[in-house]
Amino acid sequence: MTSTIELETAGTVWKVMVEPGASVDEYQTLFIMEVMKMEVPYDSPVAGKVAAVHIAEGDVVEEGMVAVEIES
Amino acid sequence: MAINTDDGRGTLLSWQKEVDEIHRRREMAREQGGEEAIQRHHERGRLTIRERIDALLDKDSFDEIGMGAGEASLNDDGELESLTPANFVLGFGRIGGRRCVVGGEDFTLKGGSPSAAGLRKSVYSEQLAIRHRLPLVRLHEGAGGSVGGSAGKKTLSAPVYDPARFRSVAQALATVPVASAALGAVAGLPAARLVSSHFSVMSRSTAQILIAGPAVVQRAMGEKKTKEELGGAQVHTRNGTVDNAAADEIDSLQQIQRFLRYLPDSVWDLPPVQSCDDPADRCEEHLLEIVPRERRRAFDMRRLLSLVLDKGSFFEMGRGYGRSQITGLATLLGQPVGVWANDGKYLAGAMTADGAQKARRFIELCETFHLPILSFVDEPGFMIGSQSEQASTIRHGANTVLTAVMSNVPWASIMVRRSFGVAQAAHYGPDAYVLAWPSAETGPLPVEGGVAVAFHREIAAAEDPEAKRRELEEQLAARQSPFPRAEALSVHELIDPRETRPMLCRWIERIQPLLESLRGPSGFSVRP
Repeated sequence: MTSTIELETAGTVWKVMVEPGASVDEYQTLFIMEVMKMEVPYDSPVAGKVAAVHIAEGDVVEEGMVAVEIES
Repeated sequence: MAINTDDGRGTLLSWQKEVDEIHRRREMAREQGGEEAIQRHHERGRLTIRERIDALLDKDSFDEIGMGAGEASLNDDGELESLTPANFVLGFGRIGGRRCVVGGEDFTLKGGSPSAAGLRKSVYSEQLAIRHRLPLVRLHEGAGGSVGGSAGKKTLSAPVYDPARFRSVAQALATVPVASAALGAVAGLPAARLVSSHFSVMSRSTAQILIAGPAVVQRAMGEKKTKEELGGAQVHTRNGTVDNAAADEIDSLQQIQRFLRYLPDSVWDLPPVQSCDDPADRCEEHLLEIVPRERRRAFDMRRLLSLVLDKGSFFEMGRGYGRSQITGLATLLGQPVGVWANDGKYLAGAMTADGAQKARRFIELCETFHLPILSFVDEPGFMIGSQSEQASTIRHGANTVLTAVMSNVPWASIMVRRSFGVAQAAHYGPDAYVLAWPSAETGPLPVEGGVAVAFHREIAAAEDPEAKRRELEEQLAARQSPFPRAEALSVHELIDPRETRPMLCRWIERIQPLLESLRGPSGFSVRP
């Protein structure tokens, strides 16, 4: 099953901590956004493998965009 | 079996003929809008109202009211030719063994736009629920009246002495749980009733909610939009018109079943305590580090909730709007509770105008049904900036604060992180049991904003203004330590975050006897 991680808000991608093919644990932080001076981490909802990463550090991104896909 | 139909002199002895007709009429009622209309409805991926009711209720528990209501057409001899059933199906039933009233429009007849008998049954649904003190479930798909009326038939309007139609809708909200689903296009009167609920859900795949449909909108406004663009789930889960979206009809019905599990039958009862195998002394290690020491780093409040509340018990309502605030129902040691928390990942958790309205309605729900409130506080204050001013955040926010302080249900408030400004006052009811985590910070406003204003001369005069600002911020942040608050008994206890569940479970046991005194209608109820 593929889980998609969508952006809850617009903002800037500050850090991307995984790459395609990496194994991740549930709750492992995948990337961190900067939104209104807050750092907002996005954690994996499941344990699995990173199937795709659609963002890069420094990207200015829109709400609703699919940022990462996890295969579990 | 032979029946004596005749006494030998030609006089009928039994009522078999009429009984046969009663059965024929029931059969016609079950046929709804006819085979073809039902097939078309199924082809659009939708269930009929009778199928919906069956899917919602415990097997064979539907006990229908007014099945015979409708419009009969008779032949010249006065014999029944056909019966067009009322296009609203109503009755009692059971969900998880508990009784409720359920009703909904029949879209296969006149597209759910009320027929005379249909309207009577729909209006009666609130009255039945109020009278029997039972939850009401409305399954909506249909429109309001049309200018054509009942196909040009001359009918008398309601008399002036009839009670106002919406009075029972408001009374139901004040006395029994009301849950509604939008399962197809819902417009006009049914839309107003849909939102007059304690919990509403719409099926993403089949439902739209509209004041008026595309044809009326285009005629009046020149705006050309589809039903979906005007009132689909992407619109109405974002603006709070409905609480939740569901994948489809069945998911919608399951969410209603789940919602009702936390609620009493009426305000005269208490929320039903459930069996619980989650130990009261469960201390989750991760709570020690869930709040980052880095003050700008947000954390996952929903994960925090899952570590404290009974496992798997959190049912979130209204996730799509007012997103800086999280509201939902859960159990703690099996006791149903209302849960309110800030989501620091969205606008830093700040109270927005829509977040304030969401929280206010949620407090009203808890107050009405005697649900103790657990408040997990990470409130930086009201949202600031021009958008927030234009949305009148201050008025909506003050409304929430005043609602909270006038409530009578027991509150437990956990200062998880920030608790600032006027907005924080909304998170503590009267006599709240207050627990503070070591990460708690409190004051009139967060140091980052406050320092820049209060020390602007000092900062400007410094050799390195940026370094001065940071130095002042650190000094002041250190002063916000929660220890003095514990010393002053300004909080009940400063705790190890891992102790949160055991402490709250002991609190639940203490306040359970107090709930008895809350039975009955509350001082204020819920408004849409």
